Amino acid sequence: MANMNSDSRHLGTSEVDHERDPGPMNIQFEPSDLRSKRPFCIEPTNIVNVNHVIQRVSDHASAMNKRIHYYSRLTTPADKALIAPDHVVPAPEECYVYSPLGSAYKLQSYTEGYGKNTSLVTIFMIWNTMMGTSILSIPWGIKQAGFTTGMCVIILMGLLTLYCCYRVVKSRTMMFSLDTTTWEYPDVCRHYFGSFGQWSSLLFSLVSLIGAMIVYWVLMSNFLFNTGKFIFNFIHHINDTDTILSTNNSNPVICPSAGSGGHPDNSSMIFYANDTGAQQFEKWWDKSRTVPFYLVGLLLPLLNFKSPSFFSKFNILGTVSVLYLIFLVTFKAVRLGFHLEFHWFIPTEFFVPEIRFQFPQLTGVLTLAFFIHNCIITLLKNNKKQENNVRDLCIAYMLVTLTYLYIGVLVFASFPSPPLSKDCIEQNFLDNFPSSDTLSFIARIFLLFQMMTVYPLLGYLARVQLLGHIFGDIYPRYSGAACGLAFVFIYPSLIYIISLHQEERLTWPKLIFHVFIIILGVANLIVQFFM
Amino acid sequence: MEESDSEKTTEKENLGPRMDPPLGEPEGSLGWVLPNTAMKKKVLLMGKSGSGKTSMRSIIFANYIARDTRRLGATIDVEHSHVRFLGNLVLNLWDCGGQDTFMENYFTSQRDNIFRNVEVLIYVFDVESRELEKDMHYYQSCLEAILQNSPDAKIFCLVHKMDLVQEDQRDLIFKEREEDLRRLSRPLECSCFRTSIWDETLYKAWSSIVYQLIPNVQQLEMNLRNFAEIIEADEVLLFERATFLCKEQRDAHRFEKISNIIKQFKLSCSKLAASFQSMEVRNSNFAAFIDIFTSNTYVMVVMSDPSIPSAATLINIRNARKHFEKLERVDGPKQCLLMR
Repeated sequence: MANMNSDSRHLGTSEVDHERDPGPMNIQFEPSDLRSKRPFCIEPTNIVNVNHVIQRVSDHASAMNKRIHYYSRLTTPADKALIAPDHVVPAPEECYVYSPLGSAYKLQSYTEGYGKNTSLVTIFMIWNTMMGTSILSIPWGIKQAGFTTGMCVIILMGLLTLYCCYRVVKSRTMMFSLDTTTWEYPDVCRHYFGSFGQWSSLLFSLVSLIGAMIVYWVLMSNFLFNTGKFIFNFIHHINDTDTILSTNNSNPVICPSAGSGGHPDNSSMIFYANDTGAQQFEKWWDKSRTVPFYLVGLLLPLLNFKSPSFFSKFNILGTVSVLYLIFLVTFKAVRLGFHLEFHWFIPTEFFVPEIRFQFPQLTGVLTLAFFIHNCIITLLKNNKKQENNVRDLCIAYMLVTLTYLYIGVLVFASFPSPPLSKDCIEQNFLDNFPSSDTLSFIARIFLLFQMMTVYPLLGYLARVQLLGHIFGDIYPRYSGAACGLAFVFIYPSLIYIISLHQEERLTWPKLIFHVFIIILGVANLIVQFFM
Repeated sequence: MEESDSEKTTEKENLGPRMDPPLGEPEGSLGWVLPNTAMKKKVLLMGKSGSGKTSMRSIIFANYIARDTRRLGATIDVEHSHVRFLGNLVLNLWDCGGQDTFMENYFTSQRDNIFRNVEVLIYVFDVESRELEKDMHYYQSCLEAILQNSPDAKIFCLVHKMDLVQEDQRDLIFKEREEDLRRLSRPLECSCFRTSIWDETLYKAWSSIVYQLIPNVQQLEMNLRNFAEIIEADEVLLFERATFLCKEQRDAHRFEKISNIIKQFKLSCSKLAASFQSMEVRNSNFAAFIDIFTSNTYVMVVMSDPSIPSAATLINIRNARKHFEKLERVDGPKQCLLMR
């Protein structure tokens, strides 16, 4: 298992720096920690389960290993005199960490500037991470805000969150006296706000996580329900779009909430007098009563996998899903054509006004849609050319905004308004397609698989579904806005103000501008509860 | 020597927490008496402050460094290490140079005391030093003192911390330094070595030094070869007792590694107030015995015939011991005089 290619030479006239602080001792083997955690080689005799093929360790590496072992016995742990300097030990890329269970993995080097990702990869990763399930709610958000307002709000929110993200990225550079290479944003918050900052930022992160889990669960139940229904109807050749308000052509679009006064469709409104089989099916395949529990059965085996990293291989499903959605939307738009009418303030039977006062609902959705602030530092760390970080961030945000705009505008514009009102657009726009529609069925399948591979915990899901019943409206504009409040608006601005104040560079315009951002964030959250 | 699935057994003697067990002299002439430095022969380890002497000593002699080696000031007094090696030699550490005028006076007044009875002078140069002129100046004043007080002493120069030099430049830089030092040392002769604690060169250098001090080394080797043939051993090696330095230069990696393993084991033993006496390593392919041999040495016997019982080999070693002790004693009680 030891795979030392240490016959390579160790060059370099590095200065042996005894003053360097070993840094926080954590498990992730940060390079600042590495010096005191060497030696680097465990001989086969110390590993519990040795494979039959014992790989050779080179003489050089073996001798160095013994030397380091011996020298470490000669001094106290606090004394750094006999710790091996970097140039005599193999580079971090040649080091392996062994688990007693026999597996080995390579060390990641976290040093600044050691990232291997080109700009393109970094931009793609940021885009991929930001593209979440909020994309399904953008058309609804535009509907709530009005078309023109919606577009403006999307662009403005994009810019605002971009600026705050920029603040997050730059927050570490304002501290010159400390070594911040290993810091994530909660560490920065801790530095400025003490432990309150650390815990509150973690709490807000958790809130967004729980919110995301709720969304995932709901969407998965939804997709599973529709998939099941599609398969059932396909097998039994039932066409159930007749009784629901829908368009009468080959591209059916339905309005599920037409008859039920605004609540999403929980059960199908179909009843078949003579078909007890279908009734049985309806009884056992209910969107909110039974399907979520079937979902438990589906997810439980997945959670018994030995290594959760298995699922990271399915990351590509996320990208594929989004691309497919784009294709789907384009296709439908081409088939359905554009139906836009511009009424500025007065709602009509089929259209919504251009400017509506429910636009905060859109901002609520967008705060979650543009949220990446808790991991942007880590994502940008691996950028090969660190000086291009800001540029890449801006490009990524631009791409994300364009994607959201594209999908939102197309769905909104192509929604067939003469028969159906724009008000019918659902919070999840796939709900507007009947379960018999093949293309959307495929989209649901993709998304279902993708979410299943992403779904981490199962623990509080039954409880979450309960909450969904209690609160009714389960789409977490609240959690998005709540954590968005802290991470996106308040913390970056506040930290910037404080650091400027410490350096005595705080000017009135900057102060006013950032306080305004904080007020916007607070307002965003409060207003969610009034809509 | 592979150590895969082998058992190690040791015999312990409870002699107290010392690194260096008292010498097994059967006649027990001196016992364990605090050496009077005025009479004992010395090995002087000198060099500028921060050149690596304390680390070097600690590594070679398996001494625990009890304090931070980054001292704020130079050593005021000579460090007596009480390490007896090669019989009656005592290692003295002294910081040379870099002191203020007070220290200079002290140095000059104590000079005769320091440089009398010196067997060996080991002078350590830091290869990264920026004050070459000053280094050479101090070196030369040491040499003058040696010439006055102990003209028979052997001089060794170690160009240390070579790992900080780029690999392709090491030979060049070392050759330059060696030429300079040779030139400066005339009429005395000095041997130069390049060393670093991060490879086997330190071990090699010290081995060369120490083995020049063992009397009758040629005769010892011939007898060892005979001994090996008689007991049907694959390999018989001698290690110096306190430092486990070995004369064999060919496979320095291997012997440095063995030496490090045993010294680490010695340190572990001493933590239990035991001292290391002997070790047997056995597996299906070979058996190796490390045992006290003469007053200055340990022996390592490697047998590739595992059917020969340990007891037989140990008896052989014990019997051979008497013979080799006599060989070492050729020159009488003061056994570490150099053969000229």
